[in-house]
Amino acid sequence: MSNGTGTSGYGITIFKPGTPPGVRARGIIFFIILCILILMEAFYFLFANSARPFVLGMPFGMFFIVLVIAIEFIALLILYFLEENDMQKEGGR
Amino acid sequence: MDWITILIVMCIYLLFVLFLGSWAGRGRESSIVEYVAASRNLNFVVMYFLMGGAIFSAFAYLGGPGWAYSRGAAAFYILGYCAFGLVPWWLWGPRALRAGLKYNYVTQAQLFTDRFQSKALSIIIAVVSILAFIQYIALQMKGCAYIFEVGSGGRVPFWAGALIAYAVVLIYVFFGGVRGVAWTNLFQGAFMIVTAWVLGLYFAYSLYGGPSEMFRQIAEANPTHLLVGPGTKMSYAAFATALLVSVLGFVMWPHLFMKSYTAKNERVLKQTILMYPTFAIFMVPVLFIGFAGIMQVKPADLGAADKILPWMFSNMQFPPLAIGLVLAAALAAAMSSQDTITHAAGSIFAQDFVEVLRKEKHTEKQATLWVRISVICFGAISYLVTIFGGQTLVALLLGAYGAIVQLLPLAAATFFWPRATKAGAICGLLVGVLYNFGIVFKIIPQIGDIHAGIQGLILNFIVLIVVSLLTKPMDKDHVQKFVSL
Repeated sequence: MSNGTGTSGYGITIFKPGTPPGVRARGIIFFIILCILILMEAFYFLFANSARPFVLGMPFGMFFIVLVIAIEFIALLILYFLEENDMQKEGGR
Repeated sequence: MDWITILIVMCIYLLFVLFLGSWAGRGRESSIVEYVAASRNLNFVVMYFLMGGAIFSAFAYLGGPGWAYSRGAAAFYILGYCAFGLVPWWLWGPRALRAGLKYNYVTQAQLFTDRFQSKALSIIIAVVSILAFIQYIALQMKGCAYIFEVGSGGRVPFWAGALIAYAVVLIYVFFGGVRGVAWTNLFQGAFMIVTAWVLGLYFAYSLYGGPSEMFRQIAEANPTHLLVGPGTKMSYAAFATALLVSVLGFVMWPHLFMKSYTAKNERVLKQTILMYPTFAIFMVPVLFIGFAGIMQVKPADLGAADKILPWMFSNMQFPPLAIGLVLAAALAAAMSSQDTITHAAGSIFAQDFVEVLRKEKHTEKQATLWVRISVICFGAISYLVTIFGGQTLVALLLGAYGAIVQLLPLAAATFFWPRATKAGAICGLLVGVLYNFGIVFKIIPQIGDIHAGIQGLILNFIVLIVVSLLTKPMDKDHVQKFVSL
């Protein structure tokens, strides 16, 4: 997932030119986390294809889906505040 | 005479929505950017409900409980795609917003057409989008018609119910544009969420003493109902690929993608994506309604599974005022999707089809008028499909629905791969769309239970890459302006 623009200028470009390495690394990490969460939802039956136990009034499979949604929300929240922090720093410069 | 009270409540609701939607567009300038993109200044709360209204549709409110009732755990996929549907937008939403601001785009096709320098692409996207939209609008109209039928005890015929919904939506979309759609969705969204929670928990507690006991009884009576896989209503492959195609394709719906241009700034866009999973949580009690019906009515007595919500009401001895409010909420679900899509269909036809075919550009006033005329026409066509639609047409439109996800490679190539060429984009899109239709019409055999859209998408990516590499690269400066946004 590098900025493979190379010399031709036609390579895959994930990040804008000049993006700091830390921001790139963070982007890649969150991209992988969110992809894993989406796959956990799509293949939830590998982990929780069961009615019991009932958790918070829901069958286990449904609870698992809701749990992944909660984790997704937390991941997005962290990402949002990190990006917000960057934007404020840029604004402050 | 309970039906009169129910109809009065529903009519008051419709009048309020009509007033709100028309009022929202009052005093605004008559320009395309205002009518289609709300002058690019919608704030977070309005954006949140504008996007939420699209998913809280007749399908979610009537079809969601229907799926929970008839297919059990298969309905969990609705929660998954609702929660993750906007996540891919984090990647290209802000870029699309910047592109819209910089190059004055108001539709999805304008962005792709400019990137790939192809009017043909604009026309293909317009045709695919509109075919999919008509089915979608017709579905919502059918939902509204059915609600009126139930509310009036069969006194308001199907055609009249659909006509009322068409007329109300048409008036406020015509006058209010996307701003009217946004403000009505805000009200309707909040109304639906409250009603969904009250109803879902009410049925679970009043009929079973709580959700845990409800699910325990379901699991005992039908051990496979709360599972997916062999011997259930949905196979593993069907569940996984249905969820994946929905997540990947969700923001590719042109009426959602073009909302990138309505947000005030990137912060608003990201806040909307961040908060969107809450809509999935709001869907949980909606599914409870369907699950609650399993031990109450046999499928043979119910007829269609989508009737479970109205059936629960008509058999629970509720006061007419409460029934009126709940049916109004169901109307809200249908109308909040119908208005967004009607507006988008009109905008796309006028901007991506008519405007592209003309040699001279319309003035701002003429272009806005064209969008408004298109809104009337698409509403009318959808109404006719609702009333007279045959099976062949439905199959065609179902194919178009699956075709929407084929726009994903165009977005990926626009923002991340400058080497993609016009020929690659058109060939990939056509192969993906035609392959999808081939499966729908049973010309091409389906591989296992893998969603036709996913199969088409894989082919689409392969063709885009191969044809692009075999054809001459596009102008470097031109393509770089999209990846450096």
